[in-house]
Amino acid sequence: MTHQTHAYHMVNPSPWPLTGALSAFLLTSGMIMWFHFYYTTLLTAGLLASTMTMFQWWRDIVREGTYQGHHTSPVQKGLRYGMILFIISEVFFFAGFFWAFYHSSLAPTPQTGGHWPPTGIFPLNPMEVPLLNTAVLLASGVTITWAHHSLMEANRKESAQALSMTIALGIYFTYLQMSEYSETSFTISDGIYGSTFFMATGFHGLHVIIGTTFLTTCYFRQQLYHFTSSHHFGFEAAAWYWHFVDVVWLFLYISIYWWGS
Amino acid sequence: MAAAVASRLSRLLGRSRPQVGRPMSSAAHSGEGSARMWKILTFFVALPGVGVSMLNVYLKSQKEHERPEFVAYPHLRIRTKPFPWGDGNHTLFHNSHVNPLPTGYEDE
Repeated sequence: MTHQTHAYHMVNPSPWPLTGALSAFLLTSGMIMWFHFYYTTLLTAGLLASTMTMFQWWRDIVREGTYQGHHTSPVQKGLRYGMILFIISEVFFFAGFFWAFYHSSLAPTPQTGGHWPPTGIFPLNPMEVPLLNTAVLLASGVTITWAHHSLMEANRKESAQALSMTIALGIYFTYLQMSEYSETSFTISDGIYGSTFFMATGFHGLHVIIGTTFLTTCYFRQQLYHFTSSHHFGFEAAAWYWHFVDVVWLFLYISIYWWGS
Repeated sequence: MAAAVASRLSRLLGRSRPQVGRPMSSAAHSGEGSARMWKILTFFVALPGVGVSMLNVYLKSQKEHERPEFVAYPHLRIRTKPFPWGDGNHTLFHNSHVNPLPTGYEDE
C-alpha cells in the first residue's frame, strides 16, 4: 500500500451510487405502474436492484471500516455527522405525518361529523395492545443500552444476549402491530382517520422493521468479531436509529392512540 | 472526608481532560460496571413492565367485543379507484368480521 500522510479515507471508484440511483428510479416508476396499471414487473426489478445495491454497498463499507482500517477518528466523525443529519431528515419525514394528523384532528371538518374521531370510527383502546407496544419499545431501549455498555466493557456474551433480546423485542413489536392491523374496525380507506392513522403508524412500523434488520446485522457482525470495545460505530448508529424509532412511537402513542381516541 | 473529596475532585478533573482522537464518542463516558446497572434495569424494570402490560392485555381481551352496526357513511369505505391487489375491493389487512365493504359486512 502507498504511504498516506493524512487520516482521511480516499474512497475507491464504486458502482453503487450509480446502481442506487437507477434502482431508486426503477422503484419510483415501478410504484406508479403498480398503483395505476396493476403492472408489477418494474416494481419487482426496482426492489431487487435496490436490495442488491444496499447489500453490496454496505458490505463494501464493512470491509473498508473493519478490515482495511479506513474508519479513522476523523472519518468516524464524518460518519457520525452523516447519521445525525440522516436522523434529522427522518424527523422531518415524520413531522409531515404529524402535521397531517393535527391539521385534520384539531379542526375536524363538518363532512366527517365535525369531531374527532370522525363519525363511524371506533379507535383502538390505547390502554390495551398500544400500551404493551410502548412497554416493549421502552424495554428494547434499555436492553440496547445494556448491549452497548457490555460491548464497551468487552463482555461478548452479555452484549450478544442483550442485543438478541433487543431484536426479539423488535420482532414482538412488529407481530403485535400486525395483529392490531387485522383487528381494527377501521381501514386505510376510512377517510381522513384511516389515512392519517395507517400512514403514520405504517411508516413507523416500516422503520421498526428496518431498525430490527440493522440490529440483526450488528448481531452477526458482533459474532464475527467486527467490533472492538472502542471501535463500533456501526453498532452506535443502529442504537441511535433504534432510539429514534422509539421516540417516534412515543409521539404516535400520545398523539394518535391516546389523545386522538 | 476532605481527602476523599479531594481525590474525587481530582478524578473528575482527570476525566474532563480533553479527549484526543475520539470526538463525539459515547465510549468516552463509560463508567466501569455501568453494563451491570443496565442488566439489572433490564431484568427488574423493563421486562417486568412488558410482563405486566401483557397481563393487562390478556385480562382486558377476555371481554367479547360487539362489532359496530354498518352505516353507509359517504366519508368511510372510500373507493375512488380499485386497490392494486386482489379484487381491488379489500384492504391489505382486511378482516371480514370487523371490516365492512362499501355495501356492508360480507357475512350479513
